[in-house]
Amino acid sequence: MPAKRKSEFRKVMKKYWTNGTAVLGTCLLFFFIVIAIFAPQIAGVNEMGDNYQIPRASWSSKPIPPSAEHPFGVIGGRDVFYGVVWGTRTAFRLGLIITGFAALIGVIVGSISAYFGGWVDEILMRITDIFLSIPFLVAAMVMTTILGKGLDKVIIALIIFGWMSTARLIRGNILQAREEQYVLAAKALGQKDWVIIIKHILPNTIFPVVVQMSMRIGSYVITAAGLSFLGVGAEPGYADWGTILSFSRNWMTMLDQSWFAIVFPGTAMVLFVLAWNLVGDALRDIFDPRMRS
Amino acid sequence: MTAYIIRRLLLLPLIMIGVTLIIFTMIWALGPDRLLASYVKSPEALKTPDAAERLIKKYGLDEPMPVQYLKWLGNILQGDFGYSMVGKKGVLPSMLERFPYTLELTIYAIVPVVLVAIWLGVISAVNQNKFTDQFIRVFALVCWSLPDFVFGLLLLLVFYSILGWFPPGMVSTQYDLVMRTAEWKNITSMPTIDALLNGRLDIFIDALRHIILPVLTLAYLWWAYLLRITRSSMLEVLRKDYIRTARAKGVPERIVINKHAKRNAMIPVITVAGGSVMGLLGGTVFVETIFSRVGMGRFLADAASLLDYWSIIGGALFFSFIMVVGNLVVDVSYALVDPRIRLE
Amino acid sequence: MDEKKALLQVEDLRTYFHTEDGVVKAVDGVTFEVFPGETLGIVGESGCGKSVTSLSIMRLLDEKGEIAGGKIFFDDQDIMAIPESKMMKIRGNDMAMIFQEPMTALNPVFTIGFQIMEAILLHQDVDEKQARKLAIEMLKKVGIPEPEKRIDEYPHELSGGMRQRAMIAMSLSCNPKLLFADEPTTALDVTIQAQILELMKSLQDQYGMALVMITHDLGVIAEMAQRVVVMYAGKVVEYADVHTLFKNPRHPYTWGLMNAIPKLDEDKEVLYNIPGVVPDPLDFPEGCRFNTRCPLATDKCQKEEPPLVEIENEHTAACWHIDKLIETIKVSRAGETA
Repeated sequence: MPAKRKSEFRKVMKKYWTNGTAVLGTCLLFFFIVIAIFAPQIAGVNEMGDNYQIPRASWSSKPIPPSAEHPFGVIGGRDVFYGVVWGTRTAFRLGLIITGFAALIGVIVGSISAYFGGWVDEILMRITDIFLSIPFLVAAMVMTTILGKGLDKVIIALIIFGWMSTARLIRGNILQAREEQYVLAAKALGQKDWVIIIKHILPNTIFPVVVQMSMRIGSYVITAAGLSFLGVGAEPGYADWGTILSFSRNWMTMLDQSWFAIVFPGTAMVLFVLAWNLVGDALRDIFDPRMRS
Repeated sequence: MTAYIIRRLLLLPLIMIGVTLIIFTMIWALGPDRLLASYVKSPEALKTPDAAERLIKKYGLDEPMPVQYLKWLGNILQGDFGYSMVGKKGVLPSMLERFPYTLELTIYAIVPVVLVAIWLGVISAVNQNKFTDQFIRVFALVCWSLPDFVFGLLLLLVFYSILGWFPPGMVSTQYDLVMRTAEWKNITSMPTIDALLNGRLDIFIDALRHIILPVLTLAYLWWAYLLRITRSSMLEVLRKDYIRTARAKGVPERIVINKHAKRNAMIPVITVAGGSVMGLLGGTVFVETIFSRVGMGRFLADAASLLDYWSIIGGALFFSFIMVVGNLVVDVSYALVDPRIRLE
Repeated sequence: MDEKKALLQVEDLRTYFHTEDGVVKAVDGVTFEVFPGETLGIVGESGCGKSVTSLSIMRLLDEKGEIAGGKIFFDDQDIMAIPESKMMKIRGNDMAMIFQEPMTALNPVFTIGFQIMEAILLHQDVDEKQARKLAIEMLKKVGIPEPEKRIDEYPHELSGGMRQRAMIAMSLSCNPKLLFADEPTTALDVTIQAQILELMKSLQDQYGMALVMITHDLGVIAEMAQRVVVMYAGKVVEYADVHTLFKNPRHPYTWGLMNAIPKLDEDKEVLYNIPGVVPDPLDFPEGCRFNTRCPLATDKCQKEEPPLVEIENEHTAACWHIDKLIETIKVSRAGETA
């Protein structure tokens, strides 16, 4: 048995690493991880204490184009390079926390719904429908308006409105798996329900959730950045890509003067999300045909 | 089939009630003191120490939640959504006057999103793994990774700040003055259409110039998503047995793809297409903000900035309503397209 | 012996699939003929290449497959040389095919009427009204009751047997000269199977068309075929008329297949099963492809591939030890009657 498992694993690994996009995505991801970890070495720290506050580089509000001293320029008096580098840490924090908790809630709700069935399932699914009826961004904006501005409020808002698709996914998979032969066989042997769920069903249904999660990390980071851009996320001056972008709102008619405040954080965002999307896509390609069989 | 539609129609108000419940709970969680701030038009009213208490009682902010909810719901159903700081009038009138602008934007965006995405998705699937397909896929993936607001900012940077071709806003100032005169017939409130209806081709072109970048920004994110879904749906369908049967009958390949395969492939795509139209609405928040346009999205963004509770509640209800109705339309059309569902 | 000219001539057909794991030689040197009005049976286990053979003849291979060699002549035309546009006129018109799974082989979003009429409108010079009439007639011919109603129904509204009848109606609507039936009854209930086979026989008489019956079921062969091709691992191992085949099989594989059928008048304790499994198409054994499972295999079988030799008139088989087989059969049959 163990020998067979190992060759499965090797096969999956081989398929993954020969996939060009998977390799690219993983490299990008690795690149960002390195930057996040070595942020203090790369961009320095904020002497005032809170490293997530971009230190002031100038007191005038005019944007300063990139120079040797400020490679990504200065906007709103803040050094863009520092913001982009430390923003990587913020991006990981946001992405992992939001996705982690949203997935957790989703898995719990979906599993309960599928396990109990009947009116519990009906009610939980109706509640899911209702939550899904409010467009994601709009819901998040309402929450931040209510809770107040700030990145932690954004995290809460996105978690509260982000669990639904995971719930539906796991519920669908569990319902399908329930009908599978190996479950019926286990049941015929007298195995208890909850043991069946944990031992047989969940391991096989968890992969789509993992794939979905990796795709959504990117989209949550984007939404959070968008909220910061609108001014309802992190406060100006926070090391967050969206917040840096929001400075350019003051220069709408003269964007050519503040182009660096758009291009650099924007590129960071694109590459970050692209990395997760590539990895998620590759994971899906690998796990999908296995799951269908 | 009709039973199905009726059942879904009955579900609609229930879902809306659920939505109002969620939204109201959030508002109520603010507590009477913060809510009070939105009722009071000037700080003068709160000068005296017991003024706050008195006003709380006056507006019923200390009553139990279900009572407040029902009162609020009653107001909503009568059209009273509260006062909007953003619009400087009632929330509902503020929204109604802004809605046509957003509608115009969305209509223009649907065309590229749906048509181009489906067209390219089919091409991509038919040419699987050949160069065309790889190129389209990579392109779509990169687009999917580029956030819409960054894209919009870049468009504005290049095509306005640098090139000066497409300005932000609704129309140029001189035409705006024309549109405010008494002779102007405000039929649909949509600049491009009204310009045509008023026979002013120059204003029409000017409005188009202003709308191009917002439309591109609005459309592009969902375009990428829809393309991927179309492609994978098409690929699955092309593998099916009935495609082989059609070929065995001697049906020309062109018809096999465009008729036999596409009809089946579109079934899941419709749901997603419907969903993307919904997503378009959310996208208007960024687009209208970046391009300084008037509309529901801008309304929401400004409300969030100003912490204008009633406006944002109103906006949320509005968008949710459209979402719920949209989902219903999607479900019904799903049944129309797939005969297997029709009989349930 | 008939002096009729063969309707379909297949010579040394080779069809290979280029997969990421290697080249699959699904059909590797198959030769047979089909005469007008007769039924040829192609029998073998799944994976032997029988379906791929018919798909190759109709040029319905997917992009991974290609005809790597051999000749196909249909109605005096070199099938491999004609352009696709001409092939499309032949498909559905002169050459038709019905498949195993009628549920998945019919398009779920079109009515069966539409799907039948499509074939008619493609190949015959009629208008829509006439096409509809013809379609209703076809449905009647295949034994579907109330055809005027059924014609507007969708595939999922019909039962399995009806769907197969509808498929038959669709493929016969243009009166083809040759019909390929790929496991047409395998997915159906046993009682329906008999009905469908009856239907096919009677239609064949009516239309005078040739039928290629592809199946793994010797019972179907016995019922329907006049001549039989036995295939194994992409090759023809025996080729004879049906009576001779059952009376005097000359290949161990054919013999094995027959023994695997339980006979009602026998009281066997152990059901015979050809030992082993069908070889991996990526890795066929050297020499005779059946040697890994053949009870009569010798060293020679593992090294050299036996050619198809004519044993008697119109009966060929590919085996090095036919005489050993004859002995074995004699002994076994004597034992049965004892």
